[in-house]
Amino acid sequence: MGSVTIFAGGFGSGKTETALNCALELSRYHKRVVLADLDLVNPYFCSRELEQTLHEHGIKLLAPIEQLRFGDVPQVPSEVVGYLGMDNEMVFDVGGDEVGACVFGYLRSYFASRTYEMLLVVNPFRPFAETLEKVAGLKAALEKASRLNFTGIVSNPNLAVETDIDTIVAGHRRVEEYARRLDLPVKFLVVEADLYGPLQQKRLGVTLKPIRLYLRPEWL
Amino acid sequence: MAKVLMKGNEALGEGAVIAGCRYFFGYPITPQSEVAEYLARRLPQVEGVFLQAESELAAINMVYGGAAAGARVMTGSSGPGISLKQEGISFIAEAELPCVIANISRGGPGLGGIQPAQSDYFQACKGGGHGDYHLMVLAPSSVQEMMDFALLAFDLADKYRTPVMIMSEGMLGQMMEPVEVREPVTEQYAKPWATNGCAGRKPNIVNTLHLGVEELEERNRHLFRKYAEIQAREKRAETMLTKDAELVVVAFGLLSRVVKKAVIEARKKGIKVGLVRPVTLWPFPDEHIRECLETAKMFLSIEINMGQMIEDVRLAVNGQAPVEFYGRIGVVPSPREVEEAIMAAAEKGGLV
Repeated sequence: MGSVTIFAGGFGSGKTETALNCALELSRYHKRVVLADLDLVNPYFCSRELEQTLHEHGIKLLAPIEQLRFGDVPQVPSEVVGYLGMDNEMVFDVGGDEVGACVFGYLRSYFASRTYEMLLVVNPFRPFAETLEKVAGLKAALEKASRLNFTGIVSNPNLAVETDIDTIVAGHRRVEEYARRLDLPVKFLVVEADLYGPLQQKRLGVTLKPIRLYLRPEWL
Repeated sequence: MAKVLMKGNEALGEGAVIAGCRYFFGYPITPQSEVAEYLARRLPQVEGVFLQAESELAAINMVYGGAAAGARVMTGSSGPGISLKQEGISFIAEAELPCVIANISRGGPGLGGIQPAQSDYFQACKGGGHGDYHLMVLAPSSVQEMMDFALLAFDLADKYRTPVMIMSEGMLGQMMEPVEVREPVTEQYAKPWATNGCAGRKPNIVNTLHLGVEELEERNRHLFRKYAEIQAREKRAETMLTKDAELVVVAFGLLSRVVKKAVIEARKKGIKVGLVRPVTLWPFPDEHIRECLETAKMFLSIEINMGQMIEDVRLAVNGQAPVEFYGRIGVVPSPREVEEAIMAAAEKGGLV
């Protein structure tokens, strides 16, 4: 049985872009990669928009069927349970906040035998991740709703188009502090590919993961 | 102040809090729900009240009550929910109650879809409810403006004792951009008309029933004197490259940002094209459009609907130049697509 990686966090923390990049990276080394778009909360800016690209990389996308893609009702793709019982690498893109994470209360029993990573995606520049108290509250709520425990943090400090190296460094320091106080390791820091080189020179002591943004419209 | 990364809907909610709004009455609907979600968390932190009403009808009448008591009050919804609120909005306009109504728009008619649209232009600008009245309507084009226009809307609402609508495409509510959080508004307008306790004075009455013929007509005349004042003082628009433009594109909201990119590209191909972006949809900035007639040979209204604002563009142009239209539904077109529409219009008008 392969890995199960779950990206959870607050609304707009960067879960979807991180999950997309993670699945695409896995597809370079593994044949059976499955990306489950479990965003039950909001149909805008979801992994499902990237179906064609994922298909080209041999990644199986589990998402609401075509007619229900903008259905605006919470729906769990029916094949998820089946794929959890198969040998594959599974990446979960979970909807925002505890409302989105509650789907794992249902799915947990179907992968009890598999080890999993559940990663808390944190962007400290988002309004509800500005303080340790807020992040700790979110973590507790997500763990309670999902009946799973976080195994690490993904540091995603950014201000969208206005992100620069200083933004990332300052933001990452705050994420590190959250991680220390929550007693969780920072698994990696995600950075847009064009800032990867300059950020490497800062020697932040954390694994850098260069990512490409897939969902932001080109004109923004 | 340090910037934060916000969704449009969150920025709108925070803007309301900064403006001193302490009451939100609403009912969830995609793509507006984050306004409510944000304020449900945020308002208790500032001793405010978030109340999810049993329906849109209840919510808008709670707004009537809160505004009548002199509070800064907001509600939000999307197309179908805004339709349900129309009776209350007409009452609020007649009673001259300041409040802010957000329409984070989706495509209609009917239940329609939840993709971004500008299909509620007529509803917002031409009196969606019964009777002779107007709303002031602001159309933000960025997440920063979602916040800034919330402040502006509350100010205009109190200044003119009128409901103000903030209308944005669903996508602007959902997308994230960095935002500079504004300073809190501390100075509030005096509201001697408010029904907030009458110890030591005669009771105030907020009412919309005027059975006497002369009384009703005078109420309408009073409202329209106010609307004339608003039209004289509050028309707002942004213009770009219109000084020598032979083709003037008119577009509002988030879409106007796409159009800007397309205009710049079309300029590179030698088309003398410019943009007028109405910021207030009502009052409509007709003078900004008329000013373009010095050089403009044609106009092109681009909208995410089947052609609604084009009627106001035609009224402004008043037959002095042809007005063409390009529209989509539920889709924010790409800059390339808009550029093609501009080139096609230019060709049709013999400007290539």
